[in-house]
Amino acid sequence: MPTYAYILVSLALFFVGAAGVLLRRNVLIVLMSVEMQLAAGTLALLSFSRALGDQKGHVFAFFVMALAAAEAAVGLAIVVSVFRTRRTASLDEVNGLKG
Amino acid sequence: MNLAAHSASMAETIVFAILSAGVLVGGLLTVTRRNPVSAVMCLVLTFAALAGLFATLSAHFLAVLQILVYAGAVMVLFIFVVMMVNREESTPIARQGLVTRAAGVLAAGYVFYRVAWLVSHERTLPLLAASATPPVKDFGTVSAVGALLFADFLFPFEAISLLLLLAVVGGVMLTRHVREDHSSRVS
Repeated sequence: MPTYAYILVSLALFFVGAAGVLLRRNVLIVLMSVEMQLAAGTLALLSFSRALGDQKGHVFAFFVMALAAAEAAVGLAIVVSVFRTRRTASLDEVNGLKG
Repeated sequence: MNLAAHSASMAETIVFAILSAGVLVGGLLTVTRRNPVSAVMCLVLTFAALAGLFATLSAHFLAVLQILVYAGAVMVLFIFVVMMVNREESTPIARQGLVTRAAGVLAAGYVFYRVAWLVSHERTLPLLAASATPPVKDFGTVSAVGALLFADFLFPFEAISLLLLLAVVGGVMLTRHVREDHSSRVS
């Protein structure tokens, strides 16, 4: 398949994730949507990497994957510690830093 | 010969269509599920189909990593936290601040429309039209990517290991139960 088809799939997945981040109030689903956006970025990196015949894109995709794993670990730890103190997983109720 | 080539490209198109439909349907189901457990399961579908797309891009190493890291480890982590924090929502989309968020989604949708239009319009560019087999031998295999990772990108690789260590220590610090210090905990 030509590269633009992959790029279109990657774009669509990214914006599905963006809609999830903007609309959902459950912090777990927001984190999942962020993961989805990162995975969409990985797909774009890999398809351009194949189009250029350059494997450096694979290395960057690898870094994105490691970054996403670290982000998931820290994000879920924050969710657990917020849930312990406030008994909620809704972003509407966690607004202590709002001015 | 021509017929064989044609049927091969036909099969490629069908595989691509199935995998990308899996990715997009899984993603849409993930952001619309009310129950976080079903959302995680739909996300597993998305990531598994995405690993298939990676394999069609001859990124074999990254496809395996996608299954191991995302569909395996990260999703198990999510399931654990969902089990701890599970509170089903009465309304998946809250009314509070809905206008602002809807404006945000509309803006994001417009950006998506413009970029997708641009990509489809410029699809004859050499970079976007390329679909030939990669010129490099062993493209995307473990040995090829690993050689690059440990030669040209050794420093970023070590930096990533430091980042992962920080994430592990940070995760433990954030979730640790401090029993002595009751006064600082918000009740």
